Order: sequence, then C-alpha cells, then structure tokens
Amino acid sequence: MSSLTAAKGKLHINRENAFGYLLLIPSIIIFAVFTFWPFIYTIYLSFFEWNMISPTKEFVGLKNYTEVLSDPKTYRILGNTFLYIILLLIINCVIPYIFAFVIDLVLRKYKNFYKGALFLPAFISLVVGSILFTWILNPVSGPVAILFNWFGLEIPNWTKAEGWIIVVLSLITSWKVFGYNFILLYASINGISREIIEAARMDNVSLVRIFFQIILPMSSATGIYVFIITIVQSLQYVFTPVKVISQGGPDYASSNLIYHAYHEAFVVYRTGHSAAISIVTMALFLLLLFLEFRYVERGVYYEN
Amino acid sequence: MKRWLQIALFIILISFLAACNSEAAGNESNEDGKTVIEYWHVNAETQGGQTVTELVEEFNAQSDTVEVVAKYNPDMYKGLMQNMQAEAAAGNSPAVVQIGWAFMDYFSGNFEYTPPQNVIDEHFPDDATFLEDHFLPNVMDLAKNSDGEQVGVPYSLSTPVLYINKDILREAGLDTDGPQTWEEVKEFSEVIKEETGNYGLYFQEPADNWATQALLESNGASFIKDGQAAFASEEGIEAYQFLTDMIVEDETALHIGWDQGVQSFIDGSVAMAYTTIAQRSNIQDNAQFDVAAVESPAWEGKEVKLPAGGAMLAITAQEEEEQKAAWEFMSYLYSVEAMAEWTKGTGYVPPRHDVSEAENGLNTYLEENEMMTPAINQMDGVVPWASFPGNAGLQAEQMLLDLREQLLEGSISPEEGLKTTQDEINALLP
Amino acid sequence: MKINRRVENVWHLIFIITILIMILPVIYAIGMSFKPLHDAYNNVLNIIPIHATLENYITLFDTLPIFRITWNTFIVATVATIFKLITAFLAAYAFVYFSFKGKEILYFLLIGTIFIPFTVTMIPNYLIISNLGMLDNVWGVILPQLADAVGIFLIRQSMKNIPLSLIEVARLDNMSHGRIMKDIVLPLVRPAITSVGIWFFISTWNEFVWPVLILKTTENFTLPLALQMFISSEGGTNFTVAMAVSVITMIIPLILYLSFQKYIIGTFTSSGIK
Repeated sequence: MSSLTAAKGKLHINRENAFGYLLLIPSIIIFAVFTFWPFIYTIYLSFFEWNMISPTKEFVGLKNYTEVLSDPKTYRILGNTFLYIILLLIINCVIPYIFAFVIDLVLRKYKNFYKGALFLPAFISLVVGSILFTWILNPVSGPVAILFNWFGLEIPNWTKAEGWIIVVLSLITSWKVFGYNFILLYASINGISREIIEAARMDNVSLVRIFFQIILPMSSATGIYVFIITIVQSLQYVFTPVKVISQGGPDYASSNLIYHAYHEAFVVYRTGHSAAISIVTMALFLLLLFLEFRYVERGVYYEN
Repeated sequence: MKRWLQIALFIILISFLAACNSEAAGNESNEDGKTVIEYWHVNAETQGGQTVTELVEEFNAQSDTVEVVAKYNPDMYKGLMQNMQAEAAAGNSPAVVQIGWAFMDYFSGNFEYTPPQNVIDEHFPDDATFLEDHFLPNVMDLAKNSDGEQVGVPYSLSTPVLYINKDILREAGLDTDGPQTWEEVKEFSEVIKEETGNYGLYFQEPADNWATQALLESNGASFIKDGQAAFASEEGIEAYQFLTDMIVEDETALHIGWDQGVQSFIDGSVAMAYTTIAQRSNIQDNAQFDVAAVESPAWEGKEVKLPAGGAMLAITAQEEEEQKAAWEFMSYLYSVEAMAEWTKGTGYVPPRHDVSEAENGLNTYLEENEMMTPAINQMDGVVPWASFPGNAGLQAEQMLLDLREQLLEGSISPEEGLKTTQDEINALLP
Repeated sequence: MKINRRVENVWHLIFIITILIMILPVIYAIGMSFKPLHDAYNNVLNIIPIHATLENYITLFDTLPIFRITWNTFIVATVATIFKLITAFLAAYAFVYFSFKGKEILYFLLIGTIFIPFTVTMIPNYLIISNLGMLDNVWGVILPQLADAVGIFLIRQSMKNIPLSLIEVARLDNMSHGRIMKDIVLPLVRPAITSVGIWFFISTWNEFVWPVLILKTTENFTLPLALQMFISSEGGTNFTVAMAVSVITMIIPLILYLSFQKYIIGTFTSSGIK
C-alpha cells in the first residue's frame, strides 16, 4: 500500500518533470545544434594542427595547449582581458549604480532628461562608434586634438601607445553600453519600496549608508545581471572596436582572449591553436562562473 | 498573452513572406537557362564598388549564356579569404575571386583552382593567345606562386607613390616637385618640421608589409631569397633604421593608423604621405591644397623596386560549365573598355599594356588626372609582393607586422629585431 | 532628511558633463552625415554643417536598395528577439518551478555558453546553414539566434522573485501551467522581458560578423553590412556616407524606443526588475 502511494507520488513527480523538460526542449535544441555541438567539435579540433580547409588534419596531441600556455603572448593577452573586465566593471557597473542611485534619490529635477540622454548612444552600433571615435580622437587632426592644442595640451598617440589603447577602446565600448546598464539599475532601484528608504531618511541615515545597506542588497538581483552582462560586454563587445581600430595592436597590447582566438582562426588560419585558446578561455570563465554561483549568488536578495 | 501571440504570429508570417522572396543565389542556372556564377570582390563603394556593379550589369545584359552575381566582401582581401575558408569548408566555391597578392601562396596551396590558360585551351581556342598578347611577361609573373605556376591573371595593380602638399613645401622654401630620394625625404621632413611645425612624412601602416617591402627592397635588400626570409641583410636593417629614426629620433614622421594618417594628410597636418595609388581619388577629391603625386623615392644611387599591390582574378569554379562561364566573364573584364572603366573607378593601374594609350581606353583620362601618371610610369620597377611559402606563410607575415609595431615604438633596435624575426620565420618555413 | 543643495548641484554638474561627452559624438555623427566629404576632412570642428547637403543620403539611396535593407534588418532583429524571449521564458519557467534530474548542471551549462567565443561556433554554424540551403537568406542569419542564455538568466532571476506561495495556490486550484504562465508569471516578469528584449533587439540590429558570412547579395543585406560598403582601408573610408548609414541605422530603434517608451518605463516603474 505504502509502496503504491510512493510509486504514485513518484509518477506524479515524473509527469511534472516531463513537462519541465518539455519547456526546455526549444532552448536545448537550439543550443545543442548551434552551440554545444560546435563546442565539442572545437575540443576535438584543439588536438589537431589544421587550417580548416586542407584535406588532412594532423593529430598533435596536447601540442596546441602547451604552445598556448608557454607563449608569453598568451599571458599578456590574458592580462589585457582582465584589464578590460576591470575597466568595464568600473565604468559600466559601479558608475551606473551610483548614477542610478543619485538620479533616483538625490536629484529632484531633470531626471527624465538625464535618463533619456544617457540611453541615446545605446542605439549606435559599435562599428560606427569605432570609426567615429577614430576620427574624433585622431591625435593630430581630430577635433579633440585641435581643442586641446588651443590650451597647449597634446592628446596621447593612443592607437599606438600601450595602455592608452585599452583605456580608449574600453571607453568606446562603454559609450555604447553604459546607458543600457544604467537604465536597468535605475529601474531596479526605483522599484524598491519607498517606505523603507523614507524611514531611513527620517532617521537621518547617511546617503552612503542607505546605498550600501538598503539599495545595494535590495537591487542585488539586477546588480548580478548587470555584473554578468558587463563581463560579457568586456569579453565579446570589446571585440568590435579591437577589430575595427587596432587589430589587437600595437604588438598585442589591445588584444583580448576572444579577439586572439579570432585572430588565430581567421587571420593566420591556425584552427587548432585558436581552438585551444577558446577552450582555455572557456575553462577559465566557467571556473569564475562556478565561483560566482557558489559564493555570490547566495547573497542575492530574492523576495521569497 | 493573446496580444503577444498575435504579434508573434504576425511577425512570423511577414518574415516567411520576406524569406520567400529573398533570392537564392548560387543556383547553377536560372530560369532563362543561363549559367549563374558568383564573382567575389573586395571593392567597397569608395574603391570602385560602383564600377563592379556596372561592369557586372553590362556583362549580364550582353551575355546569353552567363549570369554573374557579384558579392562584396568587407575587410579587403583578408575578409574575402575568411569567407572563402567558410565556403570551402562547406564544399562550395564561387566561380571568380579576387585574390590579394599577399595571399597568393596560401590560396594556391589550399584552395582548388584552375589556371585560366587551361580553361582557355579547353573551351576558347580563339582566345588561346589572349594572355600572351595583352599582358607583359613581368606583369603575368606577379600571379605566379612560389612553385612558378600561373595561378590567376593580374587584375588590380597598384604601387605606392609619394603624395605631396605643395603649399607646405612652398612655405618651407623647398622644391615643390618633391623629393626624389629617401635621403631627400628625410631632409625635407626636417626642414618642414622646423619651418612650419608640421609633420614631414606619413608612411602608411596598414595590416600588411607592402610599403615596408618597397622601402627595404629599393635599398637592395630582399624579403625572400630561395624560399627563406632574408630581410635582415645590411641593406634591410639600414632601411628600417631610416624609418624608425624619422619616427622615434627626429619625430618628423607620424606613427599612426592608416585611416588617421590619410586623414591627417588631407587636412594638411602632414606634408607628404607615402601610400598606395588606390588612395588617389580620396586624396584628390578631398584635399583643399595644391596636391600632387610623385614617383616612389629611390635610395641614393639605387634602383627602385616596388611590390605590386592589388589582386589577381582566379577561377575557383569546380564544374566545367561554370569554369567556362568564368572565363567568358573574365575576358569581358579584361576588354580594353572594361579595363578603362575599372581604372577610372578604382585608380588601379591597368595590367594590360595596351589600355593606357588606346583611344577607347584611358588616353584622355590620364591627361586629365595627372596624379595617375607616376603610378603608371613606375610600373617598370614592379616586383612581386613577397608571399611567404607554405602554411605558415601568413603567420610569417604577421610576425613582420608585430616587429613593425615594436620597431616604430622604438622598443627594440632594427638590427636585433630584424635578425631575431628572420630566424623565427625561417624556423617556421618549410 | 534634507539633501544638501550643494551636493545636488555638484551632481547636476557631473551629469551634464557626462551627458555632453556621450551626446556630442552622436550629434557629430548626425552633423557629418549632412556635410560634403571634403568639408568633413577640412573643418573638423564644425559640428553643425555650414553647407548642409543631402548628397550623402542621395548617394546612399542611389547605390543601395536601402528600404529593402532596412526591412531585412527589421525582420532579423524582430524575429530573433521574439524567439529568444519565448525560448528563454519557457526555459526559465522550467528552471524555477520544476525540480528534475540534472537541473543544476543543465542550467550551469546553458549559462556557461555566454562565455563561448563566437569563433568557436562560426564555421560549424556556417556549415549547418549551408547544408540547410539558407545561405544568402535572412533566415540563415536568424536561425542560430533563436535562443540566448542571457535571457534565461535574467528571466529566471526575475521569476525567483515571485512568491512561491502564489504559484502553489494556483496549482492547488488545479490551474494549468499554461494559465499560470500567462496569468500570473508573465505579467510579473514583464519588466525583465522588456529589458532583455531591448538588449536583444539592439544587439541583433547592429550585428555584423555573422551576417557578413551568410548574406551575399545587396538585396539581402542588413544595415551593418551596408555600412561596410563605405569602409575601406585601401580606397579610404567615405566617412560622411558611412555616417548617413549610421543615422538611418540608429533612427529606427530610436523611433521604436520612443514610441514604446511610455510602456517600457511604465513596466519598469510599476514593479521594477529586481
């Protein structure tokens, strides 16, 4: 008898579960065909030396990996990758957080104007942004250089200067994505119950404390989303300005792991090498994602 | 939800309609029974794109058997190569493609192609001597790979020229005919910087080593000797030292990306620009000063050697019918009239030797566009673009680019850099 | 608590400077699109053209079937966005309200795809599209983009905010999953759907690396490819026409946004995304 109900209970759960799987099927099919299968194929390719079209693939074992891991360029590019991430996290996650907080709770006038104006560049593509800023920031002939000249200043030769190039490319990427991240965070902060905030204000709690003790925890679910999406932006979105403006140069100073994988695969056609870079990149970020799940997600505030 | 669903359904419907009427290219033949072939090119609207469209339209109108579909590939020959890779991996290929010289060995080593003469011999006995009759041997040699095989037919030819801003030269009290030698370029630049405060020279820095090859080989160095990299000779080091000195020591030459460099020449911030003749119409149309183009400078007492830029046309069609169609199209493109149109639209030098003088060719055009003359005059000194052999060829090219960045930053001496890079490249090459 | 006037003014100043930095390039681009090219080269400081001209737009309409191209872009962006939202909504629902074997791993795998470099998927996807005979067809561009991990991530987060008791009560009332989705969950996650939808639309609208590979004839181009036709390293970039393409590319999402702005802002502020 008891075994029957148990079986029934199980059956019920199974039918439920079946529906759960069903809901996942569309996503899984698309991902399986267009992402997982290519990914598995890439793992396979990373053990070969090949250029994608030659009829013979040469099995080289772990050679691609040892080459990638022993190449000083890889570490340089890895460093750049994290530099991009840090810069973009500051510009596109921390600053919009503060801006959103200030617009919502500190300012009383022009709020709508600010919101609209900050969002405007989000509609422009990064290719356009890249050619536009190449022109505007031309260190000799661009309008900014000319204005600076009037004050006896010079702008650095950023396309050819290590360090500067990453900063400028990050700024160009930020110019486009800032507004989107900002609007999300604003909406989230704006949705926080006014009573709690008002109560805190009545108690003369400082704005800084309101920010850290009320706003930050209560908007943390969106915060995490913006955090993740900023990392995506600094990995994948930075690609466009790198490709259009610097092609990873000068001497790899502006390349990141994604661009480097592209460069190896589609400029010098070392498919196996590129595959190994992609796999290493993936592994690295999966590890970070895992840590995020373990330690950060726990602290996220959900209403239930 | 219902509204969402309605919207979704509506969108799906219209998109199916859109999908239905988008033409499927790549069919072997269309409803008129014409053979449909694809022609892949790199010509953006600023680089003869309009001419490509016109030539293809005119060809399609006059041909009863062939219909050409032109596909534009962004990002120059590199971008076209990328698309070719994908297409080849999928087992397809266009019929006629433009292959940049730097990709010659990579292309011939990895892609299926048919030498044009083979197609001609098989299907067009009347054209048997077409290539021989109309092309100079040294020009045809440009389209031979390192094994000496004729891969394609030269189509777009360019050489680097020195554009000069005569107003600045005049202001600096210099000869407005411009410098004749590299030594003079350096002297001119110093005077220009002193007298006018402008930069003297911009030496083009694209993602290839074309202009650098011109500089080094004119000084007597050679990029490749017997299939090995050989640029780190005394002459090679001297030439590179010259360029780095101007940028790093004298600061009379501008070290900047290609687009920005040309922008700075056009707005009058730089007195001289060493770049391709393909930039002529851009510079001529937009510069608002007394501008001229002069022949590539020589090194004192030495002979100028200029690598040909541009591309050849290769036949990648796999089936006989398409190969036949490919040559029919190519022979149209190589007619005197079409060649003349091509030169006018792109600023490239015609590869056929008889186009410049022909009445229906470029005769009057050249008289009106003096800036083309130096490029045509210096065609005698043209040598093939160094294309490193084997699969690592493109990687070798890349290593030279990396080296250029290091040298022009001044982070390494030319002697040390060139020697190390040469050894590294030779270790890679077969 | 009173907010210090001075603090407020400092912030106004900061905002105005930021906005100038962000808006001036946009105005510059628009101004450029009405300038002759030689004017753009020689008078870089004039944001507003002195000799305004429609020349660039005329060139553009003469050389390319720009209406057709805009329509293609619209189709790609709209269809991809809607499908991404539908698949993500369903998947998020499964992840939040069902417990089944391998759920965590599956979720982890799906979210992990965010970090896959697109170089990995480009060629294999091209082969698939080619085998399906979808080259040079907007559907070939759309097909691999019907699902997206970022959407699953955000919508799932938003769903986790809905009190579970609400769903449990509905289940006890024998409400079907379809109706729960439609009547309870969907209205509550609308802000998340809207915000991630905007993200999808803008990114697919501006995408160029993948369409360059798939689309061949100008009739089938999308706007970012049209832009590529005026950029050339060797022949020089026609900057002013390129800016005219950019203005057209920017204007449609902007109009869409402005016409739905009330709805979008309304969605955000009525419940907020958390």
